[in-house]
Amino acid sequence: MNMLKTILAQINKMPRAALITIGLFLALGIFAPWIAPQDPSAQNLLDAGGGPSAAHWLGTDNLGRDTLSRLIIAANTSLVSVGSVLIIAMTIGILMGTIAGYHRGWVDDLLMRIVDVGLSIPSLITALAVIGIVGPGYWTMVMALSLAWWPMSGRISRGVAVSIMSKPHIEALRVLGASPWRIYFGHLLPGTIGQVMVYATADAGTAALAVATLSFLGLGIQPPTPEWGQMLVDALPYLESDPRQVLLPGFALTAAVIGFNILGESIALNRIPKPLTRRMLALRRAEVASWGKENSNA
Amino acid sequence: MFHFISKRLKHSLVLLFLASLVCFTLVVSAPGNVAVLIAELRGAVATPGYVDQVAEEIGLHKPLLMRYVDWLGDAVQGDFGISYRTGQAVNADLSKRILVTGMLIAGGGVIATLISLILGFLGAFWPYRLPDRASRGLALIGASTPTFFVGALMIYAFSVSFRIFPSFGFEGPESWVLPWLTVAVLPAAVLSRVVRVGLEDAMSSPFVLTAKSKGLGRTAILLREALPNITPIFINALGTQVGLMTATAIIVEPLFAWQGLGDYFLAGVRFRDFMVVQACLLLFLSFFIVVNLVVDLAVMLTDPRIRRQWS
Repeated sequence: MNMLKTILAQINKMPRAALITIGLFLALGIFAPWIAPQDPSAQNLLDAGGGPSAAHWLGTDNLGRDTLSRLIIAANTSLVSVGSVLIIAMTIGILMGTIAGYHRGWVDDLLMRIVDVGLSIPSLITALAVIGIVGPGYWTMVMALSLAWWPMSGRISRGVAVSIMSKPHIEALRVLGASPWRIYFGHLLPGTIGQVMVYATADAGTAALAVATLSFLGLGIQPPTPEWGQMLVDALPYLESDPRQVLLPGFALTAAVIGFNILGESIALNRIPKPLTRRMLALRRAEVASWGKENSNA
Repeated sequence: MFHFISKRLKHSLVLLFLASLVCFTLVVSAPGNVAVLIAELRGAVATPGYVDQVAEEIGLHKPLLMRYVDWLGDAVQGDFGISYRTGQAVNADLSKRILVTGMLIAGGGVIATLISLILGFLGAFWPYRLPDRASRGLALIGASTPTFFVGALMIYAFSVSFRIFPSFGFEGPESWVLPWLTVAVLPAAVLSRVVRVGLEDAMSSPFVLTAKSKGLGRTAILLREALPNITPIFINALGTQVGLMTATAIIVEPLFAWQGLGDYFLAGVRFRDFMVVQACLLLFLSFFIVVNLVVDLAVMLTDPRIRRQWS
């Protein structure tokens, strides 16, 4: 109950507009199969390219499929693929980051050099190179994007891990003789996961963009599964006669990304992990030492 | 100063070596037998004997290290092998296409710089007022709209609704406008925030107070005192954005039917044409490294503080 209250308090501090957009995206994504009014892949060539009507609220595409249902199901497609990309990328990133933050020294140097190289290459190019070698497909796309995404969470979790490792309770654990495993799995990993998760939600917008871009290029989600980027590229030849089919998926995607970007900006402004500096550590030690003195006086 | 340049050059050379290693291992680790693929692409039945012959021909029997040295030696001389799909030399295609992509990135970079300076300047001139909020909103929308949707909107607005610019092709200045604008949207959005924040930062420093007490106007202070101060930051951010524009080019070039490197890379990825993917990847990575080198040198030239550190 208490946990729920702190979570609600946290959410209340975030920008309202972003929460509404993301909430709508999540709700549509999770409950899409029940919300969609019609079968998204039912074709009706007689009704192709039709405008809004009572049966099809947002019209139909060039094969006579209901656009509204396809837009809603596409939210589900997007949510599932973005979720799997972020989960895989964060698992790799958090593992690498915490190992680097725990070990320091050459392990840290090596891992962070790899992260630097990964971050300096645009994620689209990394993903396309992997797809070009392995061949297109749904799981190739997810793996390729995770490979392009893990350096970001890797760098953040390394920063978080370093700041946790320099906290007094880890020092206390060491003094108590806690094993490295206990420190790593009992204290470092849970602390890092919690904090990095927050940043990952901010990354979801760019991940959704990448999924849509790959689908737009025909190398991500394959038809007949509806996806915003792929709906847009399908409708592009009919831009002149039926621009609605291009504009609607574009605006849906843009709205979702704007929501995540506003959230990400507010998170980045509020809390950036900083490893404790040596001066702060010294101050903290002095403070801890003074507690001991007070106690002995009393 | 020469110490700095030579140190930076050495750093870039190491990075170039790593980039070549990445490109090589990527193709070597590809699943499936490349020799079978080539044999089939040549239209022959892939009998074991013929596959062996092909493998011998492209040097698959040699040890990995030898293959790397051979490949690197050829690549340095501009020979990137033969495309599996077309059977033509990759470097002949590359030399034709490099100019197109260069033009796309150069034009986009110039437009992004102009737009971002204007937007950022407006924001810094009236901080937290309407122009600032408007430029901030534009930056948010520009950074969140997918590039392919920006391109589709441009075509819809400028060549379907109002027939001002052609929607595709690479024939003369008119057909360059839309691709340039499309490529410029994302960097302009990011850079305008850099300019705005940088100017605000500079405006709160003591030398601005001195300028104010001398009686200079707000425009004069912004242009003469604050703007030179943000050039190093701006060049740094511009370098990153120019690097990212190669990724944007992959989306924009097919959309406007430009025969550039991005289009070539995409075709290579579609048909699993390893030689093309490898060559383009190596070119892209070298481009990032060179841009970074140029940015570092330019920052040193424009920032007296860094220049003094190294001399």
